Amino acid sequence: MHLWATFILGLIFGWLGQRVRFCTIGGMRDYYLIRDTRLLKGLFGFLAGAFLGFLVLRPFSEALKTFPWFLNGKALFLSKWSSMGLQAQFNPLLPVPGDPISFSPKVVAHLLLAVIGGFGLGFLGVLAGGCPFRQHVMAAEGSISAMAYLLGFAIGALIFHKFIGPFVSSIFG
Amino acid sequence: MSPFWVGLIVGFGAALLQAFFKVLPPPAYGVCIACHVRDVVNWVFIRIWPIYGVLEGVPKFVGADVSKVLPVLTPIGILVGAFLSALVHRELRLRSMRFGPQRPLSEFFIGMGVMISALLMGGCPLRTALKSAYLDFTAMIALGMILIGVIVGSEVLKRSA
Repeated sequence: MHLWATFILGLIFGWLGQRVRFCTIGGMRDYYLIRDTRLLKGLFGFLAGAFLGFLVLRPFSEALKTFPWFLNGKALFLSKWSSMGLQAQFNPLLPVPGDPISFSPKVVAHLLLAVIGGFGLGFLGVLAGGCPFRQHVMAAEGSISAMAYLLGFAIGALIFHKFIGPFVSSIFG
Repeated sequence: MSPFWVGLIVGFGAALLQAFFKVLPPPAYGVCIACHVRDVVNWVFIRIWPIYGVLEGVPKFVGADVSKVLPVLTPIGILVGAFLSALVHRELRLRSMRFGPQRPLSEFFIGMGVMISALLMGGCPLRTALKSAYLDFTAMIALGMILIGVIVGSEVLKRSA
């Protein structure tokens, strides 16, 4: 079921994103360089849509109620840690949802990863000329640069899980 | 159609997928480019070459729990959708960028670096935005760091261009 659901959402997203040139990193870049807010509004629209969807659908869905979110009382925003963590199983350094906000080594390690990863993503993304989504769209439009990017993207995932992930989790334990 | 409405539709769709279409666990996984590509690549790859070893007789899958049996297909859908859209609107054209870091060879290594940074952080900009919308404090910090990275990168581009 999730196979077709994600495929169809991807289809819609790909079609619409190709029409309007949706790009998250491109939005920030355009705002910073030429003060153009067109693409940045796309990012804000995404944030608004996700927040709205979460608020509206929460009462109807058992699945969403399990999320560690400030409304369910387990993780109160700004007094308890409300991270949902990384999705890879082997990474043990994520703050448990509902951990009090403190600066235990685990929390610091996770913040450090967010800072390093976020900076690298922004810096390299703007050099590449768009966020990963935009690169997919450009590859489908026939850009050879974007196709090379996607190849590197796939190989990067294998490298991360084979070498870097175990290395990082061995440092932070 | 403006980017704002596209973002609104897809953001809502991501929540919808998690609420009713079992794109769970992990939380906030409705739409993500880096993680879904990782899932598809690993799902295919462990069948060709069990690169991460064998766990109780079956090749070990590394990735989100939802993709263990069947992978999520967002990246394939995006490629197909964007291809169809470009085909219909006659924007399909084989081309290659000639500008510094956007030549194919350097794009290859940049792509690798982006994937590694994204997996360190726990998602591409879209999933980070999704997590921020669900009020994940760490993701908000990561989103701020993406903005700082973009500013530094823009300065580098301005100076080199």
